[in-house]
Amino acid sequence: MKTLINRIRNTEFLTFNEVLRLKVVLVTAFLLLFVGLTIPISALLSFNFQFSINIIVPIFFIILLLITIITVILNFNRVAMHFSIYTMIGLTVFHVGGANHLYGFILFFVSLTIIIFYQDIITYIIYGGAVTFYGSIYAYQSGGELMGVLSSSEQVSVLTYQIMLIGFYVIFLIQFILSDHIYEKLNNEWVRMNKILEKYQDFSLQHLNEYTEKKKATPIYKNTKFQQTISELAVFLNEFFEENGEDIAELVEFYFFLHTQEIDQVVENEEASNEAKIYAEQLRKYLLNKRSELTSMLYDFSTLFIDQKVQFNSTRYLYSIDDLFTTKTNKMLALAILYKFLRTEVTQFDKWGNIGKILNHDEITELFVSKEFREFISFEQVNFYLDNQELFEKYL
Amino acid sequence: MAQFTKKYQYSQLEKYKEHLELQHLKLKTIIVNMMMFLISFVVLYFLIRLDVQSNSMIPIMLLFYTLIIINITFYSYDGDQYNNLRIAMYINTMGVYIATIVLILQFQTPSIFTSLFIAYAVTAIYQDYKAMLLSSGLLFFAGLILLSGYSEIFTLVGNASPQEGFIIAFLVIFVLLLTLSSFILIKRKTFFYNQLAQIKESEVRNMKLLMKIEKIKTNKELNSEKYYSSLLKFTEILSEKLEIENIFSDKIMILKDSRKMSFSELLGKYNTYSKEEILEILELELETHEKMEMIGIKASKSINVNVDRKEMFSEAQFKSFKHEGDHRYIKIISFVVFYTMLKIEKPYLKSLTEEEIKDILFNSEYYYRIDRDIINIYLDNNQVFDTIVKDIMKGE
Repeated sequence: MKTLINRIRNTEFLTFNEVLRLKVVLVTAFLLLFVGLTIPISALLSFNFQFSINIIVPIFFIILLLITIITVILNFNRVAMHFSIYTMIGLTVFHVGGANHLYGFILFFVSLTIIIFYQDIITYIIYGGAVTFYGSIYAYQSGGELMGVLSSSEQVSVLTYQIMLIGFYVIFLIQFILSDHIYEKLNNEWVRMNKILEKYQDFSLQHLNEYTEKKKATPIYKNTKFQQTISELAVFLNEFFEENGEDIAELVEFYFFLHTQEIDQVVENEEASNEAKIYAEQLRKYLLNKRSELTSMLYDFSTLFIDQKVQFNSTRYLYSIDDLFTTKTNKMLALAILYKFLRTEVTQFDKWGNIGKILNHDEITELFVSKEFREFISFEQVNFYLDNQELFEKYL
Repeated sequence: MAQFTKKYQYSQLEKYKEHLELQHLKLKTIIVNMMMFLISFVVLYFLIRLDVQSNSMIPIMLLFYTLIIINITFYSYDGDQYNNLRIAMYINTMGVYIATIVLILQFQTPSIFTSLFIAYAVTAIYQDYKAMLLSSGLLFFAGLILLSGYSEIFTLVGNASPQEGFIIAFLVIFVLLLTLSSFILIKRKTFFYNQLAQIKESEVRNMKLLMKIEKIKTNKELNSEKYYSSLLKFTEILSEKLEIENIFSDKIMILKDSRKMSFSELLGKYNTYSKEEILEILELELETHEKMEMIGIKASKSINVNVDRKEMFSEAQFKSFKHEGDHRYIKIISFVVFYTMLKIEKPYLKSLTEEEIKDILFNSEYYYRIDRDIINIYLDNNQVFDTIVKDIMKGE
């Protein structure tokens, strides 16, 4: 229970699949309780139900719940989600046929709540739409039974029920669309930034490789003591899962061997075993001689120790000359410095993969007029540059 | 041992998250108010249809429009818009429930009782912890008070007893599930804000790391003198071409002097410039300020960065040592390589002590990037890990 609460509290650190799994577990727990409490009671209270129904219905719900639980265990979380929704819709259909109509009608809201809980727009549109449609029809057909003793008109009563249910569905649909729009925008920006970050890290790694080469030092992945340490640690850790340590020790050797190979060639090699290809593909992410997830995480980790005491200011994440400077002369000077930087500093990989290329005037012009560059300079500055580009080329 | 996942979070994040939150809060405020405007028309339609007298109609309509006017006022007020809109959000949350309760007490029918769910749906659009708790509390207590104090509202034409017990149970389920759903959704929202804010800060730090590594390799600083000499010549020719007085030379001289003079000396020498003007000019400086160099680095790496739709919300985008589908051996090897790399001296990061590593891995997001079983084994046996590394890597 403590672990479950802890996982709910820290959902932002879980992957999408882990969050979905957590949601299915919670809904299944609720459904188990709901089925356990309501179905036997309904079966006893509803004398109009036939004996066969009293047997078939509980078995039907038990099967649905069992499928949900098995699919969760097998980690087919999306399938489990669908089955949990079918269970809830099934319960709603079963209960609206019961004795109290208001209690039945409120179940439509509970069903929608379960579907909303999963926060999946397509699922919500399809299942939520079906539940709302059925609920509206139910309100129309059972208008007389759903009417309160203090209601003045059956028509107004039915219309109110329908508007409330449809309104609830539509408002949450708007919320879904809004959330999706916001998160898509944020995620798009995040993925783009992630790629730019990887470029910085590509350069950091290449600088380090060139530095190691220049110092004639041995790269860490070729260091035998380092290799032995990894092997010992991996075997030790693996002992908590299985006694045999030979397989993992062999895989550690394979891991270091991959540093001397082109992974694509290993993966495409017809003579290599399937197991080796799978391991090579999975280990690709953690190589030390290439910009990999592992090297990126190492650089990210080391940034924890940079600018620790620096306060945030409003221009910290601004890179647009227009936003950073107020006067035209400052903006012009900034544009000239930017040109000079790109024209004289080594900022690109050369054709051999070393950091050794400087952008030429034409390449900079191409950059300046590109759409991506509006993040740095405005149209006005581009026009100024184009009008005076011969001076930029000659004097900067 | 208590875990503090924010202990190693970049200190600059909160301010930027507030900036992101404000952008979306503005949009949500507009949407909620548009909904309230629409709902007020639906209410008016029912009031007219039910021949409600004007003196009963006016207060409820006034309530809706007062809320909208309050929101417009808070929205238009410029100073501290973030907190103003939050106040407007709480007022709206309470206002919507007050309007709903007034309607329920006025009509006293079971159908209008479901408008409480609409009130919840409208306020859920804000996706804010405090608004969510306020809304859940108001929904629950309003429902409970109405069910216990005004049970005749729930008496249906064909039913002798209203079965409040069932409705209370459903209300509890409804509130619990929606609160949990909102909680997880808000956590996801926080996650996205956090990710974006973190990557913005990470970009700044990664650029600084790249600059640091480049300096280690080349053993050279950026030659600012070369820049200022070119700028002087360039601006001189440019001024001639534009037939204007050279308004740039003073500013370039400020940049040159800033390397050898203190800020107060600069203010004294260039007394025609204000403190703010000099501060802005200094943003162009290349040796003591890093802004222009960072613009140059970012500009040189931001080309050809395209985001594929498949990459969005893809878990592969999140770097970790626990990718789904990876064999346990891979998760073990990747973690021990990462751990050992932290223990050894690198040009860009000193070797960390066992205490530092354990503390960071436990109290940061890295805890969630490592397989749960593996990180727990490490935390329980970190001294053994430390001994293995020290024993083998001795002298390295």
